[in-house]
Amino acid sequence: MVLFAGCSQQNNDIETNFAISQAPLNLDPRYATDAASERVNRLIYQPLVDFDAASKPVPALANWALISSTQYQFTLQPNRAKFHHQAALTALDVKETYDSILRLKDSPHSAEFANIKKITLINKESILFELKQADNHFPSKLIIGILPADLLANNHDFSQHPIGSGALKFVDWDSKLVLERVKDSHIINLTEIKDPTVRVLKLLRGEVDLIQGDLPPELVKHLQNQPEINVKTTVGANFSYLGLNMQDATLQNIKVRQAIAYAIDREAIIRHVMVQNTLIASAILPPKHYTNMSNNQLKPYEYNPEKAKQLLHEAGIKLPLKLIYKTSTDAQRLRFAAILQAQMAKAGIDLQIKSLDWGTFFADVKKGNFQLFGLTWVGIKTPEIYAKAFGSSSFPPNGFNRGRYTDKALDSLLAKEDWPAATARIHQQLPYIPLWYEGQFAAMGKDTSNYAPKADGNWDDLAIITKSATKRSATIMHYAN
Amino acid sequence: MKKFAISILVFWVLAVIVGKLFHLDPNQIDLNSILAPINTDYWLGTDDLGRDILARVLAGIQVSFFVAIIVTLITMVIGVLIGLFAGFYGGKVDAILMKITDIFLAFPGILLAIAFAAVLGAGLSNLILALCITGWVSYARLTRGQTLSLRNRQHVIAAESLGASVPRILIKHILPLLGSILMVEATYSLASVMIAEASLSFLGLGIQVPNASWGAMLRDGVRYMLVAPHYVLVVGLSLMSLILAVNLGGDCLRDKLDVRSEK
Repeated sequence: MVLFAGCSQQNNDIETNFAISQAPLNLDPRYATDAASERVNRLIYQPLVDFDAASKPVPALANWALISSTQYQFTLQPNRAKFHHQAALTALDVKETYDSILRLKDSPHSAEFANIKKITLINKESILFELKQADNHFPSKLIIGILPADLLANNHDFSQHPIGSGALKFVDWDSKLVLERVKDSHIINLTEIKDPTVRVLKLLRGEVDLIQGDLPPELVKHLQNQPEINVKTTVGANFSYLGLNMQDATLQNIKVRQAIAYAIDREAIIRHVMVQNTLIASAILPPKHYTNMSNNQLKPYEYNPEKAKQLLHEAGIKLPLKLIYKTSTDAQRLRFAAILQAQMAKAGIDLQIKSLDWGTFFADVKKGNFQLFGLTWVGIKTPEIYAKAFGSSSFPPNGFNRGRYTDKALDSLLAKEDWPAATARIHQQLPYIPLWYEGQFAAMGKDTSNYAPKADGNWDDLAIITKSATKRSATIMHYAN
Repeated sequence: MKKFAISILVFWVLAVIVGKLFHLDPNQIDLNSILAPINTDYWLGTDDLGRDILARVLAGIQVSFFVAIIVTLITMVIGVLIGLFAGFYGGKVDAILMKITDIFLAFPGILLAIAFAAVLGAGLSNLILALCITGWVSYARLTRGQTLSLRNRQHVIAAESLGASVPRILIKHILPLLGSILMVEATYSLASVMIAEASLSFLGLGIQVPNASWGAMLRDGVRYMLVAPHYVLVVGLSLMSLILAVNLGGDCLRDKLDVRSEK
């Protein structure tokens, strides 16, 4: 049996099995908001604009030209792919896609395009967007996948049967989502397996070829020690932070906020309980973002509990300072909470942890019903996030300023789009306590190649992933015995 | 079997007492010793934050006993009162009280407790409240049934004829006869409350971080089953042995107090 299992087998119909922790919820790009749906939609559809490594908007399906301060003309690339149902992709499809988003009242993306006054078809290749007000960042908003106009007219259900012009086309979605690569008919199966241990076991047994993210770091290290498994890691861009309620009398004092920043030993947390390539953060946008290039990098707050205590004394706080920290019931989040509590205790801060189910927790965060909370910004590319997260006019539901932070000096810097100065001001004023950018990783069988994790955790390399026809055997033998 | 149950219970009680003498700190984090296997420094290894599993198991059993005893006492008082009044007065009072009981019985107890814990928020007091809200039903049913049969006994009728007040009849003439059956029910209730507490903590709706709870430890242990199996095994075996011992103890008590099974 061992010998038999050790033999190589020819696999004529090669498939890649990708185990994911959360299945997509909606494959219509006009409605999708969850990370899994957005990652799959990037592969099924093509947007007009994408981002480069420094998160600058770059042409994808179309080039653009600024006609006037409120007019953008987009011209489609000449050698673009057809839709998966073989219709040609034209400027009419672009117009119908964005017109439909503007018409939809229940699309979570409608508000993003509220500034569009009119969309005019110039010809089959070009389209003109007229805006109500000038917006320098308008092209970076056009990242919604383009849908075919003929199917839009027929009210096609894209959420369950997506048809786009991307590298992968939809085949079936029952217990697993089946996609087929257009160029070589390679099949990719996405199966939801929520439990991290089961995902790892299936990878080790060869039932799954690829897993990415959502594993405790100890399991990642375990996989790195397996001869049949290849683990690739890269620096991440998703920003983890502690949010502060700036309407809380204690937290309004900048010395208290600084004390909290000095009370956290980020290096120790990263070294012991984070995956490889996790970096200490100083701002929402990572160091490689184009807005940070000229900033000479902000210096992170070091771990200094004595300095934290001193700042609390200067702020007139009687120790221990009691603060309530709200978090979700996610095991890794609770792990961080316990560490933060132990570290802050050394600085005279009595952090009381309140874990809530996700719905209650997030509702509390949006309502401003918290002192401190922990969250992560995922997939942020544009510097407009600073205005949305810290602008005085961005209190929910108009933005994400959940801590209700108001700072006229910052508002003025944001209005001028002086990103280095605005980032420095935020770093100094600390409406958020920055923590880290969590490293990204993907683990795959040795027979799987051409796949690497990306900083924002997208699955773009499924468009080029390859799998050799020779099946993995060593681990299967090991478990068979 | 009786000896087995008693010896396990004695073992856990002794473990708690002896553990206190060693002043073990269940919340002492040591990031350099994360998921350390069983060794001379840590007799049962360490958890995902480098905390001593032995210290946390001992702290966990204290929480488990505390919650189980408090919830059992509260639910017993509520359930017995409702059962006594329903069984004694009968008629509309009985119908209304038993309809309310039936409504609570219709929901799976643990599901209702999860819903209440989610609404009230996590924490020890809310956990006790959530378990109390669902736990009184079995006592009410049991007491009501027994009271219905005791209601027409001659000593109760005699007491009524002599002008004894209702509370006096209930407390002096009916309740003492329910003692043994309620005691057996209470032992089973202890075990089920321990499991319910562990289940809610497993779901993150029970005892709050960093306090030790076997349910929360099981949840964490399952995540590291591949790399540190000792963690989940120690907690799982502890919980299993304690619940088994309490249930077996209940069986022994029932056999002892049930005159029909007396040899």
